[in-house]
Amino acid sequence: MTSQTLQKVDHSALKTNQIIIITLNILAFILDQWWLAAFVALVMGIGSALKVPGFGFVYKSILKPQGWMKPDVLEDNPEPHRFAQSLGFLFMAGGSVALYLGSSALGWSLVWLVAALAALNAFGGFCVGCAVYYWLVRFNLPGFTKQPPAGTFPGMKPKASANV
Amino acid sequence: MSTEILLRLGYALGIVVLGLFAYWLIHQHLLVRARNNVFRLFKQWPNKLVIVYFTTPDCAPCKTIQRPALNKLSGLMGDKLEVVEIDATQRPDLARQWGVMSVPTTFLLDVHGEARYVNNGVARVEKLMEQLQTL
Repeated sequence: MTSQTLQKVDHSALKTNQIIIITLNILAFILDQWWLAAFVALVMGIGSALKVPGFGFVYKSILKPQGWMKPDVLEDNPEPHRFAQSLGFLFMAGGSVALYLGSSALGWSLVWLVAALAALNAFGGFCVGCAVYYWLVRFNLPGFTKQPPAGTFPGMKPKASANV
Repeated sequence: MSTEILLRLGYALGIVVLGLFAYWLIHQHLLVRARNNVFRLFKQWPNKLVIVYFTTPDCAPCKTIQRPALNKLSGLMGDKLEVVEIDATQRPDLARQWGVMSVPTTFLLDVHGEARYVNNGVARVEKLMEQLQTL
């Protein structure tokens, strides 16, 4: 845990993103609609490309202005969260393709996996994709440079609030 | 069509319930782990409520929120409560044994030395007091 510059990360935007992903994935399963899973994958992909939470716009344009969700700004690294979303996008894209090709078991397994990991993050405060990111840092891979915030287990939600 | 949707809804509910059960199991596992580590502590403070508080020197919310909350609680409870502070950087063995993954983490033990609550992250006075009142 070396000293490094952390940034302000609004975890409410991340949580909104995760809850919408969970909801849409479960809906896609119940209604047996592969295109809904593909839509989630698309939004996550766009979010990864733009370096923002895919469904974060719902928080930014509706939930936050209406006061339905309060900002939860913490000193954190945004990179592991982006990596986690990119990983989720890959799983969702793979799942959607599998469903389109008629491989229901594989497709829905991947969709449920993403929903489960998003739930673990949203309700348990543990980001598996972030933990993978911090694990990859050990191998000195290019682009993987950030250390977990001090006193925080890799992947766990940091506790230090940022002054906003 | 609607039968199939109901069936899939049932599957979805089943999976969600399984997930919640797994989460509950993990939480219980942490408490059981804590119970297995309290006996030495408890011998020192029989018939006292104990809060085991894990912190680190560079943990900002520990200094600004958690410690003042525990100090206030100690003042309110007097001799009935013992707060055991453990620096996780000095005692990583204890942090590992107790399953501590982030700081601050507080474990609340009843007068029999049973770990009854675990708070991962900041626990304010009101919450701790509420938990202590049920012990």
